[in-house]
Amino acid sequence: MSAVSQDARPLSRQSPRAARGPASAVAARVLRGGRVLTATFGYLFAVYSFIQPVGYRGTYPAAADRLAFARDFGGNTGLRLFYGEPHGLLTVAGYSAWRVGGTLAIAAAAFGLVATAQALRGEEDAGRTELVLAGIISRRTAYWSAMAAIGVAALVLWAAEFAGFVAGRLPAAGSAYLALATVSVIPVFAGLGAVASQLAPSRRVALELGGGAVALFLLLRAVADTASGAGWLRWATPLGWAEELRPFTGARPAVLLLPAVASVLLLGTAARLAARRDLGSGLLPARGSAEPRLALLSSPAAQSLRSQRGSLLAWTGCFAVFMFILGLVSGGVSPADIPKNAARQLGKLGTGSIATPSGYLSFVFFLVMLAVSLFACAQVGTARREEAGQQLETLLALPVSRVRWLGGRLLIAAGGIVLISLTSGLLTWAGAVSGGAGITLPQALEAGANCLPVAALFLGLTALAYAVTPRASVAIGYGIVTVTFLWQAVGALLGAPGWLVDLTPFAHVGLVPAQPFRAADAAVMAGLGLAAALAALAAFRRRDLLSA
Amino acid sequence: MTASPANASPTAASTTAAISAEGLTKRYGQTLALDDLDLTVEAGEVYGYLGPNGAGKTTTIRLLLGIHKPTAGRAELLGTDAWRDPVRAHRRVAYVAGEPYLWPAMTGAETLEFLARVHGGVDTAYRDELVQRFGLDTKKKVRTLSKGNRQKVQLIAALATRADLLIMDEPTSGLDPLMEMAFRECVTEAKDRGQTVFLSSHILSEVEAVCDRVGILRAGKLVDQGSLAELRHLSTHTIEVTFDGPAPELPPLPGVQVAETGPSVLRFEIAGRDGPVITALAGHQVTSLVSREPSLEEIFLRHYDGHVSR
Repeated sequence: MSAVSQDARPLSRQSPRAARGPASAVAARVLRGGRVLTATFGYLFAVYSFIQPVGYRGTYPAAADRLAFARDFGGNTGLRLFYGEPHGLLTVAGYSAWRVGGTLAIAAAAFGLVATAQALRGEEDAGRTELVLAGIISRRTAYWSAMAAIGVAALVLWAAEFAGFVAGRLPAAGSAYLALATVSVIPVFAGLGAVASQLAPSRRVALELGGGAVALFLLLRAVADTASGAGWLRWATPLGWAEELRPFTGARPAVLLLPAVASVLLLGTAARLAARRDLGSGLLPARGSAEPRLALLSSPAAQSLRSQRGSLLAWTGCFAVFMFILGLVSGGVSPADIPKNAARQLGKLGTGSIATPSGYLSFVFFLVMLAVSLFACAQVGTARREEAGQQLETLLALPVSRVRWLGGRLLIAAGGIVLISLTSGLLTWAGAVSGGAGITLPQALEAGANCLPVAALFLGLTALAYAVTPRASVAIGYGIVTVTFLWQAVGALLGAPGWLVDLTPFAHVGLVPAQPFRAADAAVMAGLGLAAALAALAAFRRRDLLSA
Repeated sequence: MTASPANASPTAASTTAAISAEGLTKRYGQTLALDDLDLTVEAGEVYGYLGPNGAGKTTTIRLLLGIHKPTAGRAELLGTDAWRDPVRAHRRVAYVAGEPYLWPAMTGAETLEFLARVHGGVDTAYRDELVQRFGLDTKKKVRTLSKGNRQKVQLIAALATRADLLIMDEPTSGLDPLMEMAFRECVTEAKDRGQTVFLSSHILSEVEAVCDRVGILRAGKLVDQGSLAELRHLSTHTIEVTFDGPAPELPPLPGVQVAETGPSVLRFEIAGRDGPVITALAGHQVTSLVSREPSLEEIFLRHYDGHVSR
């Protein structure tokens, strides 16, 4: 026996991978596991930060144009909701800081949360953390190795954003600082995600807890940026800190201490909590047993609805609250007398004529369209998870056809899309009426319904990707949505020919309620979506099930 | 219980057989997972499907159930091709998957009810009895259950359907010895009721205890098949002889291998009849002679001797 263990030791020393040590092996594993997520966000950061300076320079070449823009938009509360408070709209750099900083800070928060929940809790749910911790690595080291990997991913995003600005001909030093301001959000929300991963009993619940925190901080920032006299609230939200760093407009690097201290506190707390709990469980009390609830068990689709209804209702509720607030704010958008030329130029920025209430709402619903398209991808993702987790094998060994199973999943996804879109329409109307904006209920519902054809198209395409190449399907879905959403803006700015820009579905939607509903385009998109979904059902019948 | 001979024509039996496969082949990329399998399991039989890890047992089951598509050949469950018409084929079939992956947020009772409703009716009285016999706490959420307990949920769900054909992929992995006994009882009851059981396993004692017929799979090929008696008959058996004093030198005998296993003990591995050995022993001081039939383990290992990795 002793001879065996003596033999084994030099062997593991010889292995080059083992020589790197277990900590770097764990970090490399986490980095590899999150590479699709990192690449997607990197693309978003690079493209978005490139578009803004280039677009602004092209649209407002002269100082007089910029002055007019600053006057009209600087006080636009609706825009402040998304981008924060502007500090210098007269320079390309100041404008870029305003447009990019506020939005990408939200994306950075989402990235920090999702990447951490997956690295910590997703791995644990899959039983892999147990395997890692059975090796010669302490809990503490494994935790910090995973977080170090997320730190590396954050550096990648910083580099992507920096590269975008520099390509957009912003000064390098200021660009580096602006990108740093955005990326400084990541460790804070990674810390939040890490704490949530200790509290929650599963990755999904951790994501929901963290998502709630992101929504709350976003709401705080929205209030701080729009309500007069509430500016101090910006200091209460990590998303506001990124603004207070004031890139290009009187930089205040000392503010970096806030995210630094918060990250250290949160990450340290999570590390301490991790040491106190059993693997596979959360610190929040979770019921291990329950009286049976027998509703919604009659079919695979019903059961899927049952398992998703909590988060579905939560998301619909979030949309309802936000859309009510946006509707409320839209009443305050001044119908400023912008010259027609400037309005057309603004359209190129991808925002339409946002200085009127209906123009502003069109812009808002354009974002709802993006959100429900991403929701469609996420729904295909839950179907894929049932296959990857091999529950689907158990289901399909019952008298359940593949068409019935996938068809049921797609119907649930479609139902969720309709629910969110129409709730958005309804609550926007309620908010607008309360805020004194003149939008009718049919108009608001039409704006909501206008989101459906695009979402149907992406649902169909992602389902088809799932039926053909299941393992890559969800990444393909998110990738197509992100690329096509940004493509319109990128293509226009780069002066791409019209047909090339027209390739993206987002170029074919009427911006309801400011523009009329484009029925023919909508019918084509919905038809293509349906055709893709039918093709997906046919293709799914022809392939082997694939586990993770 | 009709133990059909190993070389029965599969086509002749395909109309009544519970499982019939002809030329069933599956490739995953470059890997040949299953190679030209001909298999017939008669209705009412308990069939043990043996093979080491990676031999192709789970692949066979997935092809039979229509979860994976055959590269070549065809398979029928109770006369229906499960790839072409899974719903019809699965109505009379219940399946226990190799790994008990279930829905973590549902309790045992909810899982059983869900699987029952989707299957379309089960014997609820029998299900309650099975829950008692396996000692399952059905109020616990699946996420909190151990692998063995999740396996019980699957087993109870499958057995409670009283389906004509039970297909089980290593059903006792994770079960403790007491539960394994309970499982064997259930299989015997199913057989007495006329149900067909297809049991993939590498636990030989289990197969030996409950199966009428056995197939041995190696590297995607069925290398031996038959009732236990047939397999034993075809295989070598052992005679161990103890002498009064040192073991004598015996002349070489055709079809017999001799090994000295103790100072005065000889073991004879005999491929054919015992006669020549008995004749050779005449005149020597024999104190005891023990004849032993090969265990399934020995038959199994003989098939894998030097072949475990292809």
